[in-house]
Amino acid sequence: MRGKLLVLWVNGRKESVVANPLDRLSHILRNELGLTGLKEGCCEGECGACTVLLDDRPVPSCLILGFQVEGATISTIEGMATAGTLSGLQTAFLTHGAVQCGYCTPGMVMAAEGLLRANPAPDRAAIRHGLAGNICRCTGFDLIVTAVESEASRRRIERRAVDAARESQRAPE
Amino acid sequence: MGQVGARVPLIDGMAKVTGQLRFADDGPTTVTAHAALLLSPKAHARVLSLDAEATRALPGVIGVWWHANTPQNGYNSAIWVAGQQLLADERMFPAILRHVGDRVAVVLAETAALARAAADMIVVSYEDLHATLTIDAALTNIGPATDADGQPTFLNPVETAELEHGDVLAAFGAAAHVSETCVSTPRSHHCAIETHVCRAWPKADGRIAILSPCQSVFAVQAVVAQAMGIEANCLHVIKAPIGGSFGGKAEPILEPICAFLAMETGRTVQLKLSRQETFEATRTRSATVGRMKIALAADGRMLGRDVDITVDIGAYCTGGNYLPGSMLQRLVRLYDIPAERYRGRAIYTNTVPSGAFRGYGSPQIHALGEISLDLAARDAGFDPVALRLRNIVSPEAIDPWQGLNLGNARGADCLRRGAEAFGWAKRRQSAPVGQRFRHGIGVAAATHINGCYPGEDEATTATMRLLPDGHIQLVCALHDLGCGSDTTVAQIAAEVLGLEASDIRISTADTDTCHYDIGTRASRMTYIVGEGVRKLAQALAEAITDVAELALNAVPGSVHLLSGQAVSSELSLTLADLAAWLVGCGASLPEATQTHRASANPGSYAAHFAEVEVDTLTGRVQVIDYLAVHDVGRAINPMLVEGQIHGGIQIGIGYALYEDVAIDPCTGQVHGNSFSRYTIVNAPEMPRIEVLLVEESEPTGPFGAKALGEIATIPVAPAVVNAVNHALGTRLTELPLSPDRITRALIRR
Repeated sequence: MRGKLLVLWVNGRKESVVANPLDRLSHILRNELGLTGLKEGCCEGECGACTVLLDDRPVPSCLILGFQVEGATISTIEGMATAGTLSGLQTAFLTHGAVQCGYCTPGMVMAAEGLLRANPAPDRAAIRHGLAGNICRCTGFDLIVTAVESEASRRRIERRAVDAARESQRAPE
Repeated sequence: MGQVGARVPLIDGMAKVTGQLRFADDGPTTVTAHAALLLSPKAHARVLSLDAEATRALPGVIGVWWHANTPQNGYNSAIWVAGQQLLADERMFPAILRHVGDRVAVVLAETAALARAAADMIVVSYEDLHATLTIDAALTNIGPATDADGQPTFLNPVETAELEHGDVLAAFGAAAHVSETCVSTPRSHHCAIETHVCRAWPKADGRIAILSPCQSVFAVQAVVAQAMGIEANCLHVIKAPIGGSFGGKAEPILEPICAFLAMETGRTVQLKLSRQETFEATRTRSATVGRMKIALAADGRMLGRDVDITVDIGAYCTGGNYLPGSMLQRLVRLYDIPAERYRGRAIYTNTVPSGAFRGYGSPQIHALGEISLDLAARDAGFDPVALRLRNIVSPEAIDPWQGLNLGNARGADCLRRGAEAFGWAKRRQSAPVGQRFRHGIGVAAATHINGCYPGEDEATTATMRLLPDGHIQLVCALHDLGCGSDTTVAQIAAEVLGLEASDIRISTADTDTCHYDIGTRASRMTYIVGEGVRKLAQALAEAITDVAELALNAVPGSVHLLSGQAVSSELSLTLADLAAWLVGCGASLPEATQTHRASANPGSYAAHFAEVEVDTLTGRVQVIDYLAVHDVGRAINPMLVEGQIHGGIQIGIGYALYEDVAIDPCTGQVHGNSFSRYTIVNAPEMPRIEVLLVEESEPTGPFGAKALGEIATIPVAPAVVNAVNHALGTRLTELPLSPDRITRALIRR
């Protein structure tokens, strides 16, 4: 099969690769772009270790062909930490003990990020449901749920503070 | 200081949450050849011929290997030291295939996709042989020890373990109640999210390097050497970070092939299994069928037990010969019983081999023991918690098999505190009984070991030194399987040295640089390695304070280590400044090497309590509330301890309710060979979990700590099964309790 030029937007950057029409997105991200944070744990959409965000939606990148997402915005774990500073979700995973072997973690963080973008105030049941497509065999999920819950609260507080600041700027002296 | 007992995040956690940790499949070395296996579609067959002409002709295919052009040395993948004598019945590519998923051939090609496609083009002709697929069939299989080709063959039983202590006959004669139960446990799979993977390449010095996510680099070295028929020192094994193991990567499976191909072709070879191959061609927890007869006195005292268990170890011996003895060891360390008869047998079948899996025989034997005891309690009218409390071993008890002191065994505390915290008595009586949904409450106790003592030379050797930048280096063949053992060990060292866990730099396990260690197994990391590191850190602390006294002109004995500094009554010096001063003086930096040899094997104990809701229409069970009480001696890191327990509960609920590799008893085909056909517990199925720790300190453990990783999963399945039987009034003893088994039992009633 002859390769074709494929343009993807990954972690805010325009990336051009030569790919075959049947190359999975997970393969292209890992092997062509060196984004090895996502893992291929089953290649059949069951384990979720290859989860990335497509626009704001978490998807298993092993079930998507690269050419299906030409032009779409893709976020991977490598785009989460900015300038060496962990994202809130990554910090929460670390401090709440939501990480053990770390193999499912990049996919799990991306699934949780997608969940929080869709539902900023999930309860524990909603978090469990939102992570149902991601298998972790180490943690029993409970501390992952706690980490996501904690990050959701932190974001709510942050948003309230930002809103309050905006409000006070708008208010007449 | 302040490290022991603190919720310290993983010291390698930053690399994990950012996706920067490089697992074996992630580089950084460039793979120049990918291997793909052709696996047996037959349960038992002779490979008559193999036609790979079309495969070899494909551009990009480097070669094809099978039994005719690979070393045919017999080996055993469970050995952990070169020269160890264990039944060596495995071959890289056997001429006679012993199970569906056995290795027929391997293709090496320039890309993984090509290797896979090329393997499927190979044409093989087989001669079918009679396959033994069930325990019942295997028990009639008494044949010659070797087959026509001189290869070791199926002679059952492979191994037996027996115990008879006390007067068993008299115990049953004197009993007020006798109860007999049969329990069967399924073949279950580790399901580490990282499938098995290995890299190997030739080194400039003529040796072969192997990068392996393994549980012991020295075991990999020994097994590969045996399989290739070369000296162990021709191999340089480096541990890669491991994406979950649970025992599944304890035995080197791909390493012999990978190393052989690297030697043959001079390329950097990677072999990574697909998910299906991991189910069919690696290891599983052994399936068992057990029978237990219990003699109870009128007051609930257990007078005697008669136990028989048959363990299906699959198609190769591996370490399966140890299982009957391991199960016996763990069984007799839980209750104090004056008379007991035990017979355990390991038998071969033409099924995927069994191997190590979290608990190594304990989940099976405690499922038999705890489900049987619960049904005995029901028959005789005893409360399950009270009956266990009546019989559980006391601290300092001596086990009847090995004669070992069980140490500060706190099983009774686990039961007592758990029953109170769970509201056992009240819940048990007032469990909601609806028309369709019924609730049940169950309990199970368990024990597990702390290391290999007295079985092996249970010892660990390590070196610790002050580095020029003031950090501390620990050189020890540590294999963190994701449980956080590196962090735990670092906390122990840091506590002694007045540092933080992140100040300890742990060298990667490597056969070129580390002292020999048998690796992560047998719940030995915290108890054995942790205690070795604690003592070693003390020796290093003395060496550091000795030179610090010189640097500070201090009175001997007046310097101690605190917050990264050497502190005397007047002055202080950071370890970095101390190291710089020593380097400036041309003096060597403080260093210590020690061997810690175990002299005890105390028991860790646990009691688990579960509430389930059973849908009597569909047979579906939901565990809704769960309490795990663990005798851990002392929690070095309570956050990691909780994580281990939660993960153990997840695997245990799967074992009780869903997980079954399910090998067809007629064809030997593997039904449960993907995540869609092998059901595991996902986030929505997990119950609410409470954890209670009993921290009464084990004097022989580091800061009082005992093992936890394996025992976390052991009592789960019997606690859940007992809860289901309580909910329904059934005697379900065939695991997993799948919806069809539950509905069938309800229809029968």
